[in-house]
Amino acid sequence: MAVRTRYEAAADAEALLDTRLVAIGTWLFLGAEIFFFAAWWFAFFYLRAINNNQGWQAQGVGPPSKGYGAVVVGLAVLTAITYFLGSRQASRDLLFRLLTPVALVFGIATSLFQGYEMWHLGFGLTQGGYPAVFSGMTGSWVIQFTLATAWLGSIVMQAGPAGDTIARRKPAGSFAWILLFLAAVGIVNYILLYLVA
Amino acid sequence: MVVSERRLSLPNNPITGILLAIPAYFFGVWLGTLFGNIDDQNTGVILGYLFATVAFLAGVGFLNYPLERLFGWRVTPVTDPAENRGIGRYLRLSLDHKVIGLQYLVTILLMLLFGGIGAMLIRTSLLVPDASITPSGNYIPLIGLHSVMMIFITSAVIVGPFGNYLVPLMIGARRMAFPRLEALSFWVVPPAAVILAAATFWGGFPTGWTGYPPLSEQAGQGMDSYIVGFALIAVALVTSGVNMLATIIGLRAPGMTWTRLPIFVWGIFTTSILGLLAAPVLAAALIMLAMDRSLNTSFFIASNGGSNYLWENLFWFFGHPEVYIFILPAFGIIMEIVPHFARKPLWGYRTAVVGLFGVALLSWFVWQHHLFVSGIAPVLRPFYMLSTELISIPTGIIFLVTLGTLWRARVWFTVPMLFCLGFLFNFLIGGISGVYLSDVPTDVTLHGSYFSMAHFHYTIMGGEIFALMAAAYYWLPKMTGKMLSPTIGRIHFWTMFIAFNSTFFPLFIIGLLNMPRRVSTYDPALVGLNRWVTVSAYVLFGSMVLFAANLIYSWFFVSRPALANPWHARSLEWQVPTPVPARNFDRVPVIVAGPYDYGIPNARPVADLGGIVGVTGGG
Repeated sequence: MAVRTRYEAAADAEALLDTRLVAIGTWLFLGAEIFFFAAWWFAFFYLRAINNNQGWQAQGVGPPSKGYGAVVVGLAVLTAITYFLGSRQASRDLLFRLLTPVALVFGIATSLFQGYEMWHLGFGLTQGGYPAVFSGMTGSWVIQFTLATAWLGSIVMQAGPAGDTIARRKPAGSFAWILLFLAAVGIVNYILLYLVA
Repeated sequence: MVVSERRLSLPNNPITGILLAIPAYFFGVWLGTLFGNIDDQNTGVILGYLFATVAFLAGVGFLNYPLERLFGWRVTPVTDPAENRGIGRYLRLSLDHKVIGLQYLVTILLMLLFGGIGAMLIRTSLLVPDASITPSGNYIPLIGLHSVMMIFITSAVIVGPFGNYLVPLMIGARRMAFPRLEALSFWVVPPAAVILAAATFWGGFPTGWTGYPPLSEQAGQGMDSYIVGFALIAVALVTSGVNMLATIIGLRAPGMTWTRLPIFVWGIFTTSILGLLAAPVLAAALIMLAMDRSLNTSFFIASNGGSNYLWENLFWFFGHPEVYIFILPAFGIIMEIVPHFARKPLWGYRTAVVGLFGVALLSWFVWQHHLFVSGIAPVLRPFYMLSTELISIPTGIIFLVTLGTLWRARVWFTVPMLFCLGFLFNFLIGGISGVYLSDVPTDVTLHGSYFSMAHFHYTIMGGEIFALMAAAYYWLPKMTGKMLSPTIGRIHFWTMFIAFNSTFFPLFIIGLLNMPRRVSTYDPALVGLNRWVTVSAYVLFGSMVLFAANLIYSWFFVSRPALANPWHARSLEWQVPTPVPARNFDRVPVIVAGPYDYGIPNARPVADLGGIVGVTGGG
């Protein structure tokens, strides 16, 4: 058995501490995220309920294609689950390197598909409360999802052969909760914007 | 394995940031004119501010870490504080919490100067009952700039300098949990202040700090400064909240149990929860407002399916916890300092913590009292009246804890203690006047008058700023290594205390005589009182100049080096040498007793520090 130096022991203790801190920070951040998206959900119910001047949905305004929206949310869920599974394997290096690029592909596809939908909504943003809430809620979600995908990209890059061993040893597990959270928000948004409308 | 040793080679400092921000702003404006509405420039201005901010942060060095990760390079490690000495560290991105605390302090004091000058201009215009000194068109933007600048300042004035500097020292940590987030929470503040000040180039904004639509929808491009500046402050609150909470939860030294946590740290803890959860709601509301102004959506336009009440609800859901974001750390300061100078244990420590949490919890259930006269359903009024009145109970508990600590104490009347006592006097008036405003019948009469203006100035300036001064006189010797002149300090206190009350107490009377806020003209019968207030306000401003003079005098002219523990205090931050070592503690300390065991025979020292300095016992 190799003898560990004091430096290695200290580095391991520091890495363990970092893992714990990142886990705490992630849950705190998700608390802030809940309040952020709750504000959008409040706007949805509030404007829909009061329907000022019958302006919630103008004539001819309705949800975009439900099927297309389901595909976008499905991709987001696949991104989160794929990464979650990869980040929790015992043989982490192998499966991690296998699954994270797949999750990245799903993540990029989610952002692109959502972006395409937003350019082809079938209604104008000025046509009442629903278009405003749809564009704001979905826009906020997809921007955050895209940023999360970029971070996922950095994890994939750091896991590569030229990556930084120090960075790779740092905890990537907590990030899975952010992706799962965003996927869950995507589902709630889908229910509200496409089904409840 | 080959690890890429490539690095981003951009020189990182604020100058680079500014040089990048200027073209980025114009690029954003150009992009906005390309894609935005032709009939206004809002899209361009908002994009310009956002691009400029990101470019500034990139120039300072914030994009290095994410980009190095994304390119698959070796990431630049967190700088070792011991290797990053010299005056230059205060002028660039530093990940040392002590440097960030002092960066915050200087920035906030400069902003306070500008906010104070705004207040003097407002009072000067009110020397006469007509709009002859400041035309109405300029008066309203002046009010807006003063109010928002002060809100920016008061959000960060305690947590920024003192929270960042002291929390790790007080909990026995050698660093913060997330130094990059901590630094980001500071470096978004200067762009926020500059962007807000830039509103003057667009004629300001007419809404005050509340930004109510439809006025904010119709306002000129100055409103865009409000939106982006406030959004940056929301970013600062969230990043600071995550960092502070994670630090307090995860980095407490062995033996630093929750019941031994200094009460100031509890103040920071509770305020961080509020900032973390309230600021995202503000951010969402600001995005909606920005979309209405740039993309012509109709979140707040009633004629097209929106509602201005949506803004009022979202804004005050943030806005009322925001006032407790100001005051909770101030409570922490007062309850922290009083036991040290009363040489008695903090009376009812656990009750005080419950009080802090009680205020934090109830602050989420009171926001609609700001809408009493805005046409909310009458059935909602009793609930919000009651919830607002209830908040006086935990606040009263905090008061009782402080007074109980002072009871039969042999008080050491130092300058920090004087400011603590001043706080108690002022906040009592501010708090009691708040009870009247929480009651629907009186609020309906007094809302929008100088009475409410006097109330919140008593709580914020008479409360938070007095606590800030107490903190400055108490902790600056540890932070800067120099004692402040106690003689000038006493003159400063008495001038500020008398001038403050002379300025703001008459405003209650002016409010009861029906003088409305935010109006540059008033009944000529009130000219005498208004002139009294204005002259008092000049003296109050003079007292702040006295504080600045004390800083300059004590730091540069009659330098009196601070001892490690000039107040003979027990708490942990005073047990380390002055100046504080780069890594705070030689090794992580073991906490063996609480920080307030004064007057207890044979009280154990607060911590085993490995003998780096002598620790204070219970005397």
